[in-house]
Amino acid sequence: MSIYLPPSAAWYSIKTMTDVILRVKDLQKSYNGKKAVDGISFEVKRGEIFGILGPNGAGKTTTLEMIETLRTIDGGTATIDGVDVASEPYKIRGMIGVQPQTPGFQDKTKLTELIQMFASAYGERVNPRKFLDEVNLGEKADAYVENLSGGQKQRFSIVAALVHNPKVFFLDEPTTGLDPQARRNLWELVEEVRNRGISVILTTHYMEEAEVLCDRVAIMDSGKIIALDKPQALIKDLLARGFKKAQHVQQANLEDVFIDLTGKELRG
Amino acid sequence: MQKSYIIIAVVAVLVAARLGWRFYRHTHKAKENAAIGPLRKLAPWQRKLYTVWVMFTINFRRVFRDKTALFFTFMFPMIFLFVFGGIFGKQQSMSFSVAIINDSNSAYAKQFVAQAESSGQKMLKVDKSITTIAAADEKMSRGEIDATIELPASFGQMVKGKTTPTGQAIVHYTENNAQAAQTLTSVLQAQFEAMNSRLVTTVTPFTVVAKQTNTRSLSSFDYTFTGLLGFSILGMGIFGPMNVFPELKKMGILRRLHTTPLRVWQYFLSTMMGQAVVGLLSLSLMFVAAILIFHLKVVGNYAELGIFLIFGIVMILGIGLSLGGWAKNERQVAPLANIITFPMMFLSGTFFPRYLMPHWLQNITTYMPLTPVIDGSRLIATEGQHLINLGPQLGVMAIWTVVVYVIAFRVFRWE
Repeated sequence: MSIYLPPSAAWYSIKTMTDVILRVKDLQKSYNGKKAVDGISFEVKRGEIFGILGPNGAGKTTTLEMIETLRTIDGGTATIDGVDVASEPYKIRGMIGVQPQTPGFQDKTKLTELIQMFASAYGERVNPRKFLDEVNLGEKADAYVENLSGGQKQRFSIVAALVHNPKVFFLDEPTTGLDPQARRNLWELVEEVRNRGISVILTTHYMEEAEVLCDRVAIMDSGKIIALDKPQALIKDLLARGFKKAQHVQQANLEDVFIDLTGKELRG
Repeated sequence: MQKSYIIIAVVAVLVAARLGWRFYRHTHKAKENAAIGPLRKLAPWQRKLYTVWVMFTINFRRVFRDKTALFFTFMFPMIFLFVFGGIFGKQQSMSFSVAIINDSNSAYAKQFVAQAESSGQKMLKVDKSITTIAAADEKMSRGEIDATIELPASFGQMVKGKTTPTGQAIVHYTENNAQAAQTLTSVLQAQFEAMNSRLVTTVTPFTVVAKQTNTRSLSSFDYTFTGLLGFSILGMGIFGPMNVFPELKKMGILRRLHTTPLRVWQYFLSTMMGQAVVGLLSLSLMFVAAILIFHLKVVGNYAELGIFLIFGIVMILGIGLSLGGWAKNERQVAPLANIITFPMMFLSGTFFPRYLMPHWLQNITTYMPLTPVIDGSRLIATEGQHLINLGPQLGVMAIWTVVVYVIAFRVFRWE
C-alpha cells in the first residue's frame, strides 16, 4: 500500500470520499418469520472499499443479494447513486457489477466470447482483448474458461463483471479457496478497480484481508451491524478498552514465511 | 397462394439480413478499434435484440464444439431413423408363412407342393421342416407360421365314375390368424379355379378383377418417418433444456446473468433461435437420409415445411423451457418430464400410427401438443398440403404455444 499520495490524487480522494454512492436504510429480510437481516443501515462512499464481516449465517450474503436486486427487500430502502433498488431493478443492474461466491461460466466458450456476451447483456459492445489484457489473460483469449486455473478464473470473473463500467462492484467472499499468491493478486485487482473510481463492497471471513484491503468495515451478527468503522479505528477502540493479546505479537507470521519461501509470483 | 409466401419470406429475410448486418458491423468494428463505447446508433429496442443476437451466435458456435451435444442432436435421430426405417422401410408385399402337410401321392399334389416351394412365387413361404399336423399346430400356436395347408390322401386321386381328379385342400388356422387364413383360402380358391378351368371348360359370366390405381397411398415408412421427426423434435425441445438448465443453475451461470439487465424474454428468444436453427439442421439431415436411402418422396413445398417445423420446434421447446426453467435440479424435473413426454411419445403417432388406436383415444390424442406437429409435417411432406389447409393443426399448436410460454415465463427461476 502506497503511503505517499501526490497532491492531485489526494485531492481526488478527499473529494470523492465525501460522495455517497450507496445508501442503505433500515434494510430487512426474513425467511419463515426468522429475521435474516434485521434493519441495518450504512453508507458507502464513491471510490471506497467497504467490507462486510461476520460469521456464517450473519446475513452478509442476504444483504448483498438484496442490494444486487437478486432478492426482494422486505423492509427499508437501498439506493445506488440516487436510484431506488426495489423500484428500478433493471436500471440498478446496469449500474452494478457482481462477482458471485463461485464464479461459473458456460463451458466450450472462448473468453473473448464470454466478454462479448456479458457486454451484450448490458446492451454494450466492447473490445474483449483490451479487457483480457488488463488482467494478464491476453494469451488465453481463445481458450475455454474450463481450461483456466482457479486464479485465472477469478481474474476473468472480475473483468467480466466490469465490462459495462459499473459504479459499484460487489464481491461475495472472493478469496475463499484461493492460495496465498492468488489471494494477494486479487487484493491488487480490487485496489485497481477502486482506483478507477468504482466503489467496492465485499464480504469476507478473513480478518487480515479486511484489515489490508478495506477502507471501512461493518461487522454483522444475527442480521444486525454491531460495529462500523475503519479497521484501524476498531482495533484502537478495542485496545483502548484495555484488551491485550495473550501472546507476544511477532513481527512475522506463518503466511509471511510461506510467501517468503514460495515467492509472490502468481501460480497457475 | 405461392406468391404471397414468397413475398413474406423475402421480406423476412431482408429484415433479418439488415439487422444481422448492423449487429455484425458493430461487433467487428469494436474489434478494430480498442475504444469501448455504447451502441449509440442503435435504438433501445434494437439494442435489446442485439443482446439476443450475440447470445444466439455465441451459443450456436458452442453447439459444434460439444461432441456430446453433436451426437444427440445429429446422430441420435439418425440411429432411430435407420433402425425404424429398416423395419418399416421395405415395400411390404403380402406373403404368408405356411406349412404344407402332404398326405397324398398324386401327381397333382406333388405339383402343388413343388410350385408352393419354388422360389418363383412370393405369396407363400413354406416351412419345410414341418411334416406333421401336430408340429404345425404347435408352430401356429406360437405365431411362427400363419397357417397350415393340408392335402389329404384323397387329394388329386381319380374317383370312379368321374373323368377328372378331385380333391379338397384344408387350411388350418388359429383364432388369431383368421384374417390371414381367409385371404389364403381365397387365394387358393382362385388358383384351384384356374386349375379347374383347364380340366373342365366352364362359362363364367361374372368375373372380378382387381386393378391398382396410380395414386400413391401412404406407405408405412411415411408414417414412421414423420413420427421420428416428431420424436426428434420432442427429444431436442424437452430433454435438451431439461438437462441443460439445472446444470446452468447449479454452476451459478444463470444467477450471474441475473445480475445483468438481461430480460427473460431475451434469454428465451436467443435459446429459441438457436434451437430452431440447430433443430432444422438436424431434421434436414434426417430428410436427406430418408430421401436418399429410404426413397421418401417429398411432394410438398420445402419452404412451407421448414416454416411449419420451426413452429413445431418452438412450441415443443416451450415445454422444455417450462420444465428446465422451473427445476432447481435434475432430480426434481425428471419425473414430471416423464409424465409429460411419455404420453406424447407413444400416443402422438411417433412410433405407432394413430389410426391404429381406438376411436376415443384418437379423439383425445388429437389435442396433444406433438400430434399436430407430426400430422402436419406428414400432410405437407408426403401429401403436398399447404399451410393454409392445416387450420386444425396450426390452431392446436398456436393454443399450446400460448399455454406453454405463459407457463414458461411464470415459473422461470434464475437459480
